[in-house]
Amino acid sequence: MEQSAPAVLLQDVKKAFPLGHGHDLEVLDITSLALPVGSYTVLKGPSGSGKTTLLNLIAGIALPTAGHIRVSGTDLVILPEPQRDRFRAAHIGYIFQTFNLLAPFTALENVILAMCFANTIPQRAQRQRAVDLLARLGLSTRLSHRPAQLSRGEQQRVAMARALANDPPVLLADEPCASLDAATAQVVLKALHSICRESAKTVLIVAHDTAALEGADQVLDMRAINRTPGRPHGVERA
Amino acid sequence: MSLWSIAWKYVCGRWLASALTAVSVALGVSLILATFLLTRGIRAGFIAGTTDYSLIVGAKSSPTQLVLGTIFRMDVATPNIPYTVYEQLHDDARVERAVPVALGDAYQGFRYVATTTDYFAAAPWRRKTFTVAAGRFWGDDAPGQPTYEALLGIEVAQRTGLRIGEAFYEGEEMAEYPLRVVGILRPTHSADDRTIFFSLASYWEMNEVARSMAIKPLTTVLVRPKRLSDLPSLYREFNVNPETQAVLPSAVLLTIFNLLGVVEEVLRFVLGAVVLVVLLYLFVALYSAMLERRREIATMRALGARRMTVLVIVLLEACLIALIGGIVGLLGGHGVAALGAHLLSQRGGLALAPFTVSALQPLLLMGVTLLGACAGLLPAVLAYRTEVAENLAPLS
Repeated sequence: MEQSAPAVLLQDVKKAFPLGHGHDLEVLDITSLALPVGSYTVLKGPSGSGKTTLLNLIAGIALPTAGHIRVSGTDLVILPEPQRDRFRAAHIGYIFQTFNLLAPFTALENVILAMCFANTIPQRAQRQRAVDLLARLGLSTRLSHRPAQLSRGEQQRVAMARALANDPPVLLADEPCASLDAATAQVVLKALHSICRESAKTVLIVAHDTAALEGADQVLDMRAINRTPGRPHGVERA
Repeated sequence: MSLWSIAWKYVCGRWLASALTAVSVALGVSLILATFLLTRGIRAGFIAGTTDYSLIVGAKSSPTQLVLGTIFRMDVATPNIPYTVYEQLHDDARVERAVPVALGDAYQGFRYVATTTDYFAAAPWRRKTFTVAAGRFWGDDAPGQPTYEALLGIEVAQRTGLRIGEAFYEGEEMAEYPLRVVGILRPTHSADDRTIFFSLASYWEMNEVARSMAIKPLTTVLVRPKRLSDLPSLYREFNVNPETQAVLPSAVLLTIFNLLGVVEEVLRFVLGAVVLVVLLYLFVALYSAMLERRREIATMRALGARRMTVLVIVLLEACLIALIGGIVGLLGGHGVAALGAHLLSQRGGLALAPFTVSALQPLLLMGVTLLGACAGLLPAVLAYRTEVAENLAPLS
């Protein structure tokens, strides 16, 4: 039986930040990393191990110093920036650690905004889709509330709805429960897991808590996959 | 959701800062519009007031004082001239119309003007027409048989509350000679709206000095020659006369306009500085807003917004603030012009139209919006250049 191409594939990816005076700080060196279509992967690692940098590279927010990153078969490295932006909007959902909801917009508008930028869902259907997503996450009574009027758990669920707005095949989440209490984190992760499983999304979630590990197909340790000096190489299967 | 509505959300999201910025724009626009309307109105008011008569004959004094006093009732009245001057002009074959005018005191600040019915008579060359809104005109009563009938300018009637048939006087010494209102003029949009007219015979009888004079006094005679070519000779003759001077209102107008020109030039510099300050304020407001919002811009970019999209959003935000400020400024400018027009009308006898709408208003609005976009250009470029990964990191 032929094996399908992975949803995310990194090959010989390196990322270094310039320090000035001709010196660079290499933060990432990954020989190979593949996330199968529909898989749920948890990424662990200590602070400064390059987790967020890796997510930014997969999202096409930053470019690697060397190597190739393929998402849904498209090499992000060779895409011109405007096309990379369009690709990201349509194919990658990103949940930030601090939610990053846009303050002047309501919960509903925050979700619609993501669809406006991607422009893959017809304009007349955008509102209804946003309403459905927020209702699914238990926020049907919070549609017209601004971020400042929502609890942290509610804000995170709005951020989740926003990430799912364009029905992206790949979902990245950077410590989505870091600022939530254990009970709320459990609810958020359960909802995320359930929605992604239903629509066979490929999920890469950075997390430390054990709740995130439940149901994960694989758990990656940054210390193992990042070959920058002093970091061993390996993948831990869940 | 359109880019306009996203920009509008950001304007509303920082409503206090946006409102303050819009107010600064509005103040600038108000000043520019009010200055333009008032200077244009003053010019138009002077032109309208001085074009009906080509020559004014009065006593030797300042020509500007003679014109301002007679036409606009601005200055103090010039000394008197004998009534015979009028008779001479009236009988002159070169003169089409001569109108005697005697400037008196005032009732509640509204000037008394004694004249004849010729003052109100229509003519093809007259820009101004006089009709009554209520009552009637008084007649030319014979000397020694005054009727003490008064015709009120519309503003006099409105401000004093005097009605047809009512008698009035100012000062106990005038109690013996009360004037009775027989008519109220329709608006003429000139100093006449603020004037109380009555006959020369009434004036001479009310004036203690004039009562005893054999040759009655006048202040000026307004003259319209039959042909323009007769003007130089009339002008010369009455200036040679040791008792009188003849003044060309258009020449005085030129002097006034030259003075106005200097004032306008100074105002242009002041307004230029105002525009610069407003633009700087708008720029600083948008720039600081952009610095505060780099994380939100980065988030938008992470959601898939292109660099050009965030640039356009910031430019639209600048345009919206400038547009709101512009609209409020236009309203404010007309308000300031109305206030200025009221003061000029009260103190200067000039009737202006502060609510005149022309191509100026839309042009001003377009200009302000364009300048707003210019002020927003650098903050927009800053938004355009925002690096996503660098600005997405948690704030703590």
